[in-house]
Parts: sequence; structure tokens; C-alpha cells
Amino acid sequence: MPRSASRFMALLCGATAMLTACATSAPTGGGASPDPTDWASVLDTAKGQTLDWYMYTGDEAINGVVEGYVAPRLLQEFGVTLNVVGVADTADAVNKVLAERQAGRAGSGTVDAIWINGENFATGQQADLWACGYPEVLPNAQYVDLTAPVVATDFGVPVDGCEAAWQQANSALVYDSARLTPADVISLTALEDWARANPGQFTYPAPPDFTGSMAVRTFLYDTAGDPAMLAGSTYDAATFAPLADRLWARLDALEPALWRGGETYPTSQDAVEQLYATGEIAAYLTYGPGTVAAKVADGAFPATTRTAVPGVGNIANTSYLAIPADAADQAAALVLANLLQDPQTQLRFYAEGGIYPVIDINRLAAPERAEFDAVVLGQSVLSLDELTARALPELDTGYATAVEDGWTAAVLQR
Amino acid sequence: MALGVATRPSRLPRGLRVALLLAPALTVVVVLFGGGFVQAVAQSIGYQPFLPARGPSLDAYRTVWADPAVRASVGITLRVATVSTLAAAVLGVAAALFVRSLCRTRRAFAALLQVTLPLPHAVAALAMILLLSQSGALSRAVSTLGWVDAPVDFPVLTQDAFGWGIIASYVWKEAPFVAVVVLAALSSGVAELEDAARALGASAWQRLRHVLVPVLAPALGAASVLVFAFTLGSYEVPFLLGRPFPATLPVVAYQQFRDPDLAARPLAMAIAVLTTLLVGACAVAYLALSDRLRR
Repeated sequence: MPRSASRFMALLCGATAMLTACATSAPTGGGASPDPTDWASVLDTAKGQTLDWYMYTGDEAINGVVEGYVAPRLLQEFGVTLNVVGVADTADAVNKVLAERQAGRAGSGTVDAIWINGENFATGQQADLWACGYPEVLPNAQYVDLTAPVVATDFGVPVDGCEAAWQQANSALVYDSARLTPADVISLTALEDWARANPGQFTYPAPPDFTGSMAVRTFLYDTAGDPAMLAGSTYDAATFAPLADRLWARLDALEPALWRGGETYPTSQDAVEQLYATGEIAAYLTYGPGTVAAKVADGAFPATTRTAVPGVGNIANTSYLAIPADAADQAAALVLANLLQDPQTQLRFYAEGGIYPVIDINRLAAPERAEFDAVVLGQSVLSLDELTARALPELDTGYATAVEDGWTAAVLQR
Repeated sequence: MALGVATRPSRLPRGLRVALLLAPALTVVVVLFGGGFVQAVAQSIGYQPFLPARGPSLDAYRTVWADPAVRASVGITLRVATVSTLAAAVLGVAAALFVRSLCRTRRAFAALLQVTLPLPHAVAALAMILLLSQSGALSRAVSTLGWVDAPVDFPVLTQDAFGWGIIASYVWKEAPFVAVVVLAALSSGVAELEDAARALGASAWQRLRHVLVPVLAPALGAASVLVFAFTLGSYEVPFLLGRPFPATLPVVAYQQFRDPDLAARPLAMAIAVLTTLLVGACAVAYLALSDRLRR
């Protein structure tokens, strides 16, 4: 029965690290941890290395800048060959690092860098997987406000110098203005009323999908009424329990108004955006509002697509680069972490992909600041000011996990 | 290595020769699958070297049934596997008999049967989404004809409660597989046996009952058990076409495997191990069945 055997091998491949479904380059580095304070030697060591960057490749805008700008610069300026390994979920990359740690591959790990944040970063901290101590000594760290709460803590977990920030993600509500008025998106309550009047046209992916989890946490903030009740504090079951009961009751009551009458939920954000593109739904929440313009331009989304921030505010987080301590090509990974914080790279991400900068643009020289101010993102996208005015911090990982488990038990499996 | 040519008996004892011939394939299966399986068993009883050490325990197996996701998944897993297998068997046999009854176009149809075999299951599943979803090709065609008013009125065939989308994808892939196996069995002198039976005055029903069925049964049984085992343990089709809850066992195992809390890992591995044992039971059934039918 080789066919079912291979099926199980596929299922267990992440657990065994004996099979990899993805092409990774042979480790080219010496495996020794470079000293990030001696940047010249980091550049020397990195030359000729092939960097395996594991990242979520579901965002075309980011893929475009990575392939069209970051990869060529890495090769031409630093002699580093970039090999992007796409993952559908960052947890897969963390599982690979875990499996290699189990197999004892210190210094020869095939995962050199991961685009990461939140729970997956916390998982790595739990198992002590990351290289630490470099973000504050990167040459471009001068442009990043490392003390800002949105950079210094990741879903409530202190960064502790174990990951380097590279982009900001502010969530927003995307809607078709031909089917919803601005009044329908002024608050989540207004959106719920619209959904009840127009059943089947709103949904969110089932948590633990990254975006689905954010959608439920946005409703949690709204249910709490005062963000300060939750933001910035570690998970506390006594605070969460009464709130959770009200939240699940609210989402249960909304279910019949959702896509497919709430009988089921899409399994991924990709599926949600597909539903929007085909017109099955008319509104959805996203972490990548800046990328909507490109989809409208491509004709994938209706020209009447707009984005909004409902009254409760919008959850914002930072994306980081983590470097596994076992990685073979750590020097090249450090070069990438630094290049991603380069103001010109940040500008490209912002202008071409609608990806919001993680650097503090007030720290730039006047001409560079002017370049950021001159970027026009198109009428379906909010300006940087509108998008960040009411940003809400990500909740502590403990809340994130409680929300995912609670939603699964109280809403999905009910 | 030279195979024992019929005219010159090999000096190796027969058992050793068979073992050597099987070695390459067995090595792959034992090392890769066996290694993974041993790892999974180890992790299911709590082996996690990257966490503070704890003794082995069977807690994960005790809590499997307490997990509502697992409880809900047993029914849908067995239902999808059973319905898919039955439909693939019936359609496969029908297709094989039809192809056999052809004369000049037989070869073309036999080739057509094999078109779907090399296609990956993920491709079949995505094709089913494009065809059967409420905004899919079928829905649009039907609404153009005016049979339904809006996509929402089109019956739900993907991400549905029963699993029709998953079943459709499996049947489309597996019915030709059954047909190819059955065709091979049919081409082994069945026609002569049927002619002999007809000459001896057997009716069409008697020919089917006493000639065709006994000839086809071993091949069909074997193919069906294979299809059943495969549909039981497959991941990508139910992931793409199914619901997050209730989901099939492999999907649930993977959901648990991706839980950011490493403490959930033993449960994920326990589900994977149990699913593997289920498929293993199918393999044993297959061997017993083919043994009994050969006698």
C-alpha cells in the first residue's frame, strides 16, 4: 500500500525532517555564529552564502518586492544568493527548525531566516530556538525606534533581541462600496446590522488562521469597550472569562448572517479573498490593506473597493525576521535583516506594495522623508495617518491562544 | 543484477533472491516511513527533547477521545472513505466492462481512462472547487440557463456538511484507477471462459454470476481496499474541499500539529498514529482478502 504510506509520510514529514517537500540549498555557511558587532566580518562571511528565507508567500505585493528588489540587491551588493522558501503557515517553518534541532543539526540547519511574529515566535522562545542579541547592533537599527511598544513587544512577548523588525501590518476592513455605504462600516455593530440585512456577504477565516484570529480579537476589543482592559497586560483568565462569554454569544448570534449561514468558515484568508473577488462576499478584514490597490488595478477586485477602520480601531502588529540559532548561513541572514531595515527598501515596500514602514520616518533626512510623503497609494487605500490613528496593539499570546481555542470550542464546534 | 534466467537456475537460494530483489523498495519504505512512524510514536508518548524532560505517558491516547474535534471527525472520515470507495468501485467496473465491449475505439478509451491517474490529488481538488463551488463554473452555467436566481441558490457542494466535494474529487481520481485494475483482470482469458459457458447454455446472468464475478472479485477487492485506505489517510483533498470542523482525521492531526503550544504535540502524534494503525488494518484486510480469493 505504497500510496497511503506516502500520504502518511507526507503527514509526518514535518515531524521527522527526513523528507522535505521544499527545495532548500545545501548549507553554504561555516555554521559558526558571526559576531554582529563586527559588521565588516559579517559582510565577509556572508559573501557567497545562499540564504534560505522561509516566509509566507501568500502576499503578491511582498513577493514582488522581495523578488524584484531585495534579491538582486543581496546578490549584487553582498554576494548573497536569496532562496525564498514559501510556506502557507509560519508554523510549518518553526516545526522544521524544531525537527532539525531534534535531529541535532546545530550549525547546519537548513532554515536561515523566518518571517515571523506572535505565537510562532513565542513557540521558538519556548524551545530556545532563536539566535539573539543582534537587532540593536544592526547598522540600520538607527532608523528603528526599538523602544516603541509596537516594536519591543511581539503579541505581548518581549522581543529580547531575538528577532529584527521589518514591516508594520495594520489591519483594516475591505468592502465593496457598491454594496455597503460608509455608514455600514463606521463600527462593528453597524457592520453586523448590515450583515443581518444582507445575509451571506461577510465572513472571516476560521481561527487559528492568522487573519481569522485577528478578526475575532477585533470583536473581542469591541466587546470589551475599553482597549486598556486588555492591551498591554498578560493573559488573565479572570478578566477573560466574562468577556469571552459575551464575545461567543455575540459571534454565535452573528453566525446566521455570515457566508453559508455560518454553518462553516473558509479555511484560509486566500479563500476569503477569492470569495470577495468572485462577489460571493462584499466585506472582509485583512492585515494587508495596502495591497488592495494592486488587486483593483489587476481587475481582480471591483473598482468600487474601499478600505475603512471601524470605530473600535484596528489591530496592528510588526513583522520580524528571526534567525534560528542552528542556521548554517547566519551571516547572510544578518545581512538580510539589515537590508530590510534600509530606508530605500522600506520605501520600495511602501510605494510598490502598500506595505507600511517599520522605521520611524521622522529619523530620516528631509529628502528621504519627502520620498515617503510623496507616495500615492490609490483611492481604495487609506493614508498612513488614517490607518495608524487608532491602531490597537496585539494582545498577549496567552489571549491569542485563548481566543483561538475558545472560538473553536464555543463557535465552530457548537 | 541479473535476474534468474529461466534456462539457467540461479545459485542463490530462492528466498535470498527474493529478499535482494525487494531490498531497494523495502529500504525506502522501512527507513522513511518506519522512521517517521517511530518518531510519531515517540512524540505521542511525550518525547520532546527541546522541552524540560518528562517521563513517557499515554496521556495523549487517553485524551484523544475527549477532543470534540476527534469525536466529530471519525464519522465524516469513515463516511467519505466508504462512499468514495463504493462509488469508485461501481463506476470503475462499469467503465471497464464498457471499454471491453468496444471494438475499434477500445484502445483510445483505455488510454482516456489513464488520463487522470498522473494528476496530483491537489489539482483534482482545486478543479472541483472551480467547478462545483457556489461561484464555480457549474453554478454560473445553471444561472445563465435561469434555473437558479443567484449563486447562493446553487446547492452547496464544496465545504459542505456531507463531504460531497471531497467524495467527487476522490471518485474522479479513483474510479479510473479501479477501471484500469479491473481491465487488466478482464484481459486474462475471461472471454474464452465466457464463450465456453455460453456454449454450455449458461444465461447472461449465470455467466456474470459464475464467470465474471469470481474473476473480477480479487482484483476489485484489492483495488477497493487500496482506495479505502488511501481516502482514509489522505490530507490535501479534505483540507481543500472540506470544513475546518468536522474535519477528517488527517486534517485534525495536522491542525493539532500546528498548534503553537508545543504541549499539543503528543495529541497530534497520537491521532496520526491511530490513523496509521487504521490504514494498517486495511492493509491486513487486503492481504487476507486476496489470500482467500486466490484459493
